[in-house]
Parts: sequence; structure tokens; C-alpha cells
Amino acid sequence: MAGSDLAKYPFLNEAGAYLRESNFGWEELDRPDMKHIIDRAAERIEIEVNGKIYDNLERYEIEILTFLISLVIVKSISIEQVLRKFALAEARRAEKFLTEDLRKQSEIKRRSVFTKIFEDLFKLRILISEDQRLFKVRVIDYLARASHFNEQEWKLINRLVHNGYVYLDADETVRLIRNELAVLIYDKVRAMTLPTLPQGIKSRADELRLKFLPRYERRASAAVTDYPPCIKHALEVMNKGDNLPHSARVMLATYMLAIGKPVDEIVSMFENAPDFNEKITRYQVEHLAGMKGSHTKYSVPSCDKLRNENLCFATAECDTLINPIQFGRKKK
Amino acid sequence: MRENLFAAKNISVIKKAFREYYFNQSKAIEEPLKMEQREFGFAHFGQAGMLRHLSFKSMKELDAMLVREAPSDVYCSNAYYRIPTQQPMQEKQWLGADLIFDIDGKDLGMPCVPSHSYSVCINCGYGSPPEKHKERSSYSCPSCGCKKADYVSIPCSKCIDGSKKEARRLVDFLLGDIGLEHSAIHVYFSGNNGFHVHINDDAFISLDPQARSDLVGYLSGTGLMLESIGLRKTNTEDLFSIKLPKSGLAFGWRRRIAERLKIDMASAIKLKNIVNQNGGYNAFKVELDRLARDMGVRIDPQVTTDVHRVFRMPGTLNSKSGLSKTKSSDLNSFDPFVDACLLGDGKVSVKVKTPVKLKLKRNSFNVSKESAEMPTYAAVYLMCKGLAEAN
Ligand code: SF4
Ligand SMILES: [Zn+2]
Ligand SMILES: [Zn+2]
Repeated sequence: MAGSDLAKYPFLNEAGAYLRESNFGWEELDRPDMKHIIDRAAERIEIEVNGKIYDNLERYEIEILTFLISLVIVKSISIEQVLRKFALAEARRAEKFLTEDLRKQSEIKRRSVFTKIFEDLFKLRILISEDQRLFKVRVIDYLARASHFNEQEWKLINRLVHNGYVYLDADETVRLIRNELAVLIYDKVRAMTLPTLPQGIKSRADELRLKFLPRYERRASAAVTDYPPCIKHALEVMNKGDNLPHSARVMLATYMLAIGKPVDEIVSMFENAPDFNEKITRYQVEHLAGMKGSHTKYSVPSCDKLRNENLCFATAECDTLINPIQFGRKKK
Repeated sequence: MRENLFAAKNISVIKKAFREYYFNQSKAIEEPLKMEQREFGFAHFGQAGMLRHLSFKSMKELDAMLVREAPSDVYCSNAYYRIPTQQPMQEKQWLGADLIFDIDGKDLGMPCVPSHSYSVCINCGYGSPPEKHKERSSYSCPSCGCKKADYVSIPCSKCIDGSKKEARRLVDFLLGDIGLEHSAIHVYFSGNNGFHVHINDDAFISLDPQARSDLVGYLSGTGLMLESIGLRKTNTEDLFSIKLPKSGLAFGWRRRIAERLKIDMASAIKLKNIVNQNGGYNAFKVELDRLARDMGVRIDPQVTTDVHRVFRMPGTLNSKSGLSKTKSSDLNSFDPFVDACLLGDGKVSVKVKTPVKLKLKRNSFNVSKESAEMPTYAAVYLMCKGLAEAN
């Protein structure tokens, strides 16, 4: 694995190995020359939590440390939404580099990086198509991932499928693992136990925490276990930062209104949407609640309607339901 | 189960026949893989609802229960659970589920159906012969005047051929597109009027409902975009441009559509004309949708996407007909009215509600008198359909 690869993909285990080999220790973070790296890490977090990608690349030694310190800071900030947004942006960052690299597929030696990332990390085998122009993945591997994307073009029927394989170009192939990349980074932070932090990092983390806190404070997310499957699914999509079709947003909002969730809380459920705009979302939710415009309160779409829109993910508990709102209320 | 159809006498005759089957033919019942991880369910004659959340450790245990209880229908989960008997569902600890498909003859819109659909009054059970041209909304029971009837179909060979055609098409998709092995695909007659396809491939058992739903979309031809064959809408007007896909039209749905439209990679202009002949982008979109659905397989999407379902167990009897859910290794030669008709042939005397024609085990029955003696398999068939009563 080349150093330049570790700079782009610092989540690979090799990066950790590099740190160990170079005998890196926490004390060193208080050295004056580390300030540059701590600054970079803080900047990286801020940019990414705001939904952009930090794609500034330096020497791999610096990148690996920056990544590590960002993880430490995010952990120390300990706000769930900050962690989610950071993980998602980090995944997008890696996705961008991966796509670029994968396009240069002629460089055989690069293959090993991809095998590492796709196969070792995510159990996704990618092959080169017969005519060398495309990549192919097994239908089953494709379905397990792409069925959670909501854009119509990702539906299997709109793909080139043959003999058990789905054919994809470089961008598409990498897009397949974005969520897994995000989960990987999310889990890395989750699994961390923090040592007593050097002052230089601690103060940056506290600063950022104070900055983010007002944004996320009142957004304690409710436990999702009691929602019907259609709603649960929509929430999962939302939380992953994927795009949710309009009809699904209407379903989600009307459902939440119907069970008495306050508008504020509902608006914040949408904040992970890639196109989130607080003002517009608030207007739309209030509209559905009958507080705006026509003053008609919209009801939750029926299970029939949701089935037609492919938003239904019925389980056995849905057996006799006519409307998602009945979920969990009926006696079995 | 329509309880009112099962007067005590009917029940005892049918139950006896079912029990005899389970006693003599226990070998016909297939042992499900990892039986101890499956949930079982039963329905009983004359009782509404289904008993679920049951578990059996061995076929011996199950066989004993079948002979003892002679249930009307036997179901087994396609899902594997750590604790199949737990309730509610979440507590069962889902481990995966076989991929299954349901092709139901009654969803195929066969034109012959009215000619073999009998109406049975839901109030008094009076049976009337098929009436080809009469609207169902104008039904009125000749005996009690009730306005509602159940319609029971005695599927004809065209119906069965229609279901077979769908099953073949499904198998083609699964082999050629999805890349399944022949040996992983098991086709069963459903026991009444359709086919069930079970997939035995470990790679598929972990798929979640959404992934299954995506697969269903592919197989049934729903959601195909014009962009997939190279059409792009240029602006809000009905204008479009054509750029045939770089990766060609040789495979999958692109091939199917290209063949149907008779286009290839050199046909950009021809495609443009086709779209225009259809009335432009939007109109062609509707047409493409229709074409794709027409070429897709008619499967019940809910059966495939539900990963907590219990599904009729192979080798067991279907209370809608008394026929058994039977494996078909060769669809061409498979005749459900012979191969799945496995009840005994001891004579039973029944009262037939309306003149009926049917053919079972290669014997034709053309019953016009009220009381008739017939072999058990035929009598049970008619009683299950609600067209006869035990004497
Ligand atoms: S059946 Fe109704 S409640 Fe259940 S998932 Fe479908 S739409 Fe939601
Ligand atoms: Zn009547
Ligand atoms: Zn017919």
C-alpha cells in the first residue's frame, strides 16, 4: 500500500499500523508543531458537519494524523448528529478519491487498493467486464446495497443485468459502498475509548462542541422501534443521509403529525436530507399540519396507497392494517 | 376458510380423506432445510384464522401431528429464526429467509375464467353454473335473493397453461439475468391454481424486504425508465434526445425492449420514429411501461417481499381443492389434475349443488344429477370448492 493511498483512505487498517510503527504517542500532540494538524482536524470537522467535503490533501503522514485527531475530536464532542454528518462526509470524501482512482483502471497495481477496500472491508467483489470498459458486481451484492437508494435509476430494472452480474461504471461502483464507508467511520468513532486528552485537543473539541450544541440540542431523537415498517424504513433512509422521495416525506410527516409529534421535532427529522433547508421543510410540515395555506390537515396515506408507491415494507404485524396509523394499536 | 361451507358432515368427510393422505403419503411431504429454525402454522376446518408460531423438531413429530389433527392447511415459514415460537415477531430473532415467488392463476386475467366460475351464495350456499356474460354486480341468489356470492373457479387447462407460462418466464429470468443455478430453483404447483417457486441459494437468504422488492420490480417489469434505452427528455416540453447506451442493448431488459421494438445500436433514428409514432415522450413512456409489464412475470409482490411469512408447505394439501402442493420438475409434462391429485378413491356420496364438469386423475366427471357417488378425490375437490355437500 502506497503512502498516497493512506492519505486518501486513512480509515484502512494499514494507517493504524503506520502509526504504531512510527511509535506515535499521545504526548506528542502537545508538541508545538502539532498545532497545524489539530487546526486541520478542527477545520475538517467544521466543513464536513456543514455538509461539504474536505478534500485538501497533504503528505500522508499529516493526513493520517489529521484523520485520527478528527476522530478523537468528534468523539469528544459527543453529539450524535455531528458524528453522523462527519461520517457521511468522510465517506463522500473517500468516495471521490476512489472514483478518480478507479477510473484509472489501467494501472493494475491500483487494483490491490480496491480489493482491499471493496473486498476486505465490505465483502464486495468487483470484476472487470468482458470488454474492459465497465465493472461488474454480483446481482445479490448489488441488491443488498442499491435497493436502499431511492433514485429510480438505481432500481435493478434500470441496470444492465446479465448472468448474475450488474454492470456499473466507476462512479456507480463506488457509490454502492458509500453507506458502508460511513458506517465504518461511524463505528470507528463509536468504538473508541478516549485517553485523557492533551490540552491542545481538548480545548478545540470543547470549542466546537459549544458551536454545534445549540443546533442539535433539542433534537433528541425518539426511539424508532414502535413505528410501522414503512415509517421505520423512511427514517433509516433519512438518517443515512440518503434522498427520500417526496411521497415518502409526506408519509413520514403526516404520520409524525398524527401521532402528535411537535412540528419542530418533525422538521429536525429531515435535517440529514441532502437537500435539507430548514425554512422550506418547516413550511411544508406546517402546511401538512393544516397550519398554512389551505388549512386542511392532511391525513396519513393508506397502506394501499403506500403499497402502490413502493413505500410499504409490510411485515407480519401489518397483517390487517388499512393505515399505518393503526400499527401497534390493534389487538393481536 | 369459509366456515359456512363446512357443515360438520363435510368436515368429517374431508378430514377423513386428508388424514388418510397424511397417514399414507407422509413421504410426499418435504422436510424443510433447517427445520428447527422454521415457524409453522396451521388452519383447521371450520375455524377462522391460523395457528402460528409453532415449531417442530423433526418430520416424525410433524407427521404425527398431521395425522392426529388433519389440518385444512399447513404452512411453514420461508424465514429462519433462532426461536421460531417466540412472539412478537421481533423476539423470534430473524436469521434469514428463503426467496420465494407466488404465481396465482387468478391474477392473470385469463379470458376463460368466467366460463368456469361458479357462484355460491354467501348466505345460503346455493350454487349456480357459470354465466359468461352476466355482470357480477347483478347477482341475485335464486334461492334466497342475497346479492352476494363467492365465485369459485375450477381452473381449466388454459388457466394452468397460463400459470405455467409465467412460471417458465420466471425461471428464464432467474437463470439468465439473476444468474441462479438450475438446481437452486424449485417449482411447485400451489395445490389449487398457480405455482410457487422456492429458491434454494444461501446468497439470497439475507436479503431484506427492500432488496426483494427491487428484485420483484425487475422480474415483473415495473419502473423501467426511458433513459435505460437511451431516451432523455430535453426540457419541459415533450421533446427528447436519443443517445443509445454505450454499454449496448445486448442484455437484460434492454435486450428485451430492443427485441420487442426491433431496434439495435444503429437504430437511433428508428427509435426516434417509434417514439413519435406513439405520440411523443410522455405517451411513449406509458407505452414502454405497458410493454415492460407485459414482458415481465406476474408474481405477487407481497409474498416475495414479506420475510416473515408462512407459506404453504410442499407436499401438503390445499383446502381450496384437496390437491397437494406438488413439485414439478418438468412443467411441460406436469398435469396438476393428475400429478397433484393424491387423495384416495374410495366412494363417497355427495349432493352436488349445480351441474359441474371436471377432470381428475384422467377421469372425466360430468355431474348433472343432484346426488352422486364419486371417488373421494373428486368429492373432496367439489366440497372444497363449495359446490357439493356430503350426503
Ligand atoms: S402495511 Fe401499512 S403499516 Fe405496514 S408497512 Fe405497509 S404501509 Fe406501512
Ligand atoms: Zn342464497
Ligand atoms: Zn380457464
